[in-house]
Amino acid sequence: MKEQDHIPTSRISRTGNFLKTGAKVGGNYLKYYSKRLLGTDDTDGLQRENAEDIYNTLSKLKGSALKIAQMMSMDEGVLPKAYTDKFTQAQYSAPPLSYPLVVKTFKSQLGKAPQTLFDSFSKNAVAAASIGQVHRAEKDGKKLAVKVQYPGVADSISSDLRIIRPLVSTMLNISSSEMEHYLAEVETRLMEETDYELELIRSQTISKACSSIQGLEFPAYYPEYSAGRILTMDWLEGKHLDEFLKDEPSQELRNQLGQILWDFYDFQVHELKQVHADPHPGNFLFRADGTIGVIDFGCIKEFSHEFYSDYFQLMIPEVTNNDRAFEELLFKLDFLLKADRSEEVEHFKKVYFEVHNLLAQPFFADEFNFADDQYFARIYALSQVYQNDKMLRKAKAARGPRDSIYLNRTYFGLYSLLHKLGARIKTHSRVTGLTEH
Amino acid sequence: MDSNTVSPDVSSKMDIKDKIIKAYKEHILIHGTEPPSIFAFCKELGITEDVFYEHFNTFEQVAASFWKELFHNVAEEVKAEEGYTAYEAKEKLLTFFYAFFEALKPHRSFALLSFKDSVSLLKRDSQHLSEMKKDFKLWAAELINEGIRKGEIAQRLRVTNAYDNILWLQFMFLLNFWRKDGSHDFERTDAAIEKSVRFGFDLMEKNALDSAFDFGKFLFQDR
Repeated sequence: MKEQDHIPTSRISRTGNFLKTGAKVGGNYLKYYSKRLLGTDDTDGLQRENAEDIYNTLSKLKGSALKIAQMMSMDEGVLPKAYTDKFTQAQYSAPPLSYPLVVKTFKSQLGKAPQTLFDSFSKNAVAAASIGQVHRAEKDGKKLAVKVQYPGVADSISSDLRIIRPLVSTMLNISSSEMEHYLAEVETRLMEETDYELELIRSQTISKACSSIQGLEFPAYYPEYSAGRILTMDWLEGKHLDEFLKDEPSQELRNQLGQILWDFYDFQVHELKQVHADPHPGNFLFRADGTIGVIDFGCIKEFSHEFYSDYFQLMIPEVTNNDRAFEELLFKLDFLLKADRSEEVEHFKKVYFEVHNLLAQPFFADEFNFADDQYFARIYALSQVYQNDKMLRKAKAARGPRDSIYLNRTYFGLYSLLHKLGARIKTHSRVTGLTEH
Repeated sequence: MDSNTVSPDVSSKMDIKDKIIKAYKEHILIHGTEPPSIFAFCKELGITEDVFYEHFNTFEQVAASFWKELFHNVAEEVKAEEGYTAYEAKEKLLTFFYAFFEALKPHRSFALLSFKDSVSLLKRDSQHLSEMKKDFKLWAAELINEGIRKGEIAQRLRVTNAYDNILWLQFMFLLNFWRKDGSHDFERTDAAIEKSVRFGFDLMEKNALDSAFDFGKFLFQDR
């Protein structure tokens, strides 16, 4: 009986952590409702307390849970502001691996200790990634960044996701069936992210394909110093966005950098049909000379041509303004389902029209000012409205194509980067070409 | 040369000892139990019983000798590692554990069988692990002293003396963990080592506990 105690135990103890959070979040709601009964509506306070409790739990469960925290912090439009503020902290902090474990990982994966392999190797990590950490190394006068992954991350992903499911579904106010839809895709991406060999190949492919875009720099990757859990690349100079902004770059420089990001994503989506789907601030290094270094190709979303051509119809006013065509498209993309009653069809159509119209704004104009707080406040306000929409909340079935999850996440990420950067962008896009087909 | 006349004898003695350990392990691996008697075992191996008794009295001692040698090999191995002497005590302990479980990997089947009948490793350790325990605790005590000298570990009356025992218990916990670990390349064991050692040193270093004690003492004296 005792024999197989271990793994379930750890899962139980991890579940325990989540249950505790669940109870606390429940308590916060209780506080909120009792306050409301007394006549004060403290929604912000409630969300802040929830965010704190959930974050504290997540930060105890490293690895994939942290990754999820990180991911959710991207979706500023989806999540209430208090959640995102708290989760943004998760983007930079995780406990470091001990040096002996780094040595052990090198020995078992590459057969040699890092000091033997490189001319120099930093004993301490210089940066943390969500499922690993980065060391600095030097070889033959070249500065290198070496990413080392935490052990056992891949093994814990699916159990972490199972644990997190009910919690996230309460947090986001979405049904568990919708969660299922979401998490299956997330699990696939996360598993891919633990595979550094795959990342190496993809990094090389994408950086080669994007080499024509001016102002972008990609590191070279070194297969001879890489393995399943070790990835070695050039060390790129530059600053994370928040730090970069402290130097008060000129509007011109910010526009220039923003434009590079926009063009980079536009090219990936419309030409490559695969996209660096992790546009969180830690993956870009901004420089005063008007260039950007791009690192971390762990999360790449590829999509089919069919999905692509259907989905981007949503960005074309001629389609969305035509009621019949728009409805057809929504059915095709599973936003509307055959089983929907006619009042549901009407209601959802109205919702999707409003949401897509708002989100596609930058695509409709030649130039768009991402510094516009008003625009982001409107996205946030709209998501609040629909989070409390009774008909939407009652809808059991998951809606929308699964492929769109990471694409949306990418655009949310890109929008929020550009917003922080305060850039004015020429949003000429290859999407316009679609109308001519 | 002098050494030439001595070494063949010594090395052949070592050979016999190793040969016995190897044959004993093989028997356990193939039959799943200890040999029925020392007599039968010696016959199978093609040696006389007195040769066996020159080295061991019981099968338990043979097993104990396996663990002890494994421990010493690993302790030597880590000492030779580049940069090891400059490591902090925590890093030395981590390095030891990683190396130990790496070295144990090829002997996993034997290790599992060796503990098959025992409900818990802790009960069994009086026999199979007794010799390794002695040596490990000496090694650990040295490590702890070094940690205290360098200020990594807090000196606490009485408690400090129990640290070598605590490290031994941690070692046994990890051995048990590894025994049940089904993860790829025993990555979960690596994580268990990492986390348990970090936790252990968090407790052993100067922390709130020491300040609380110090403060309490102050208040008491000041009454």
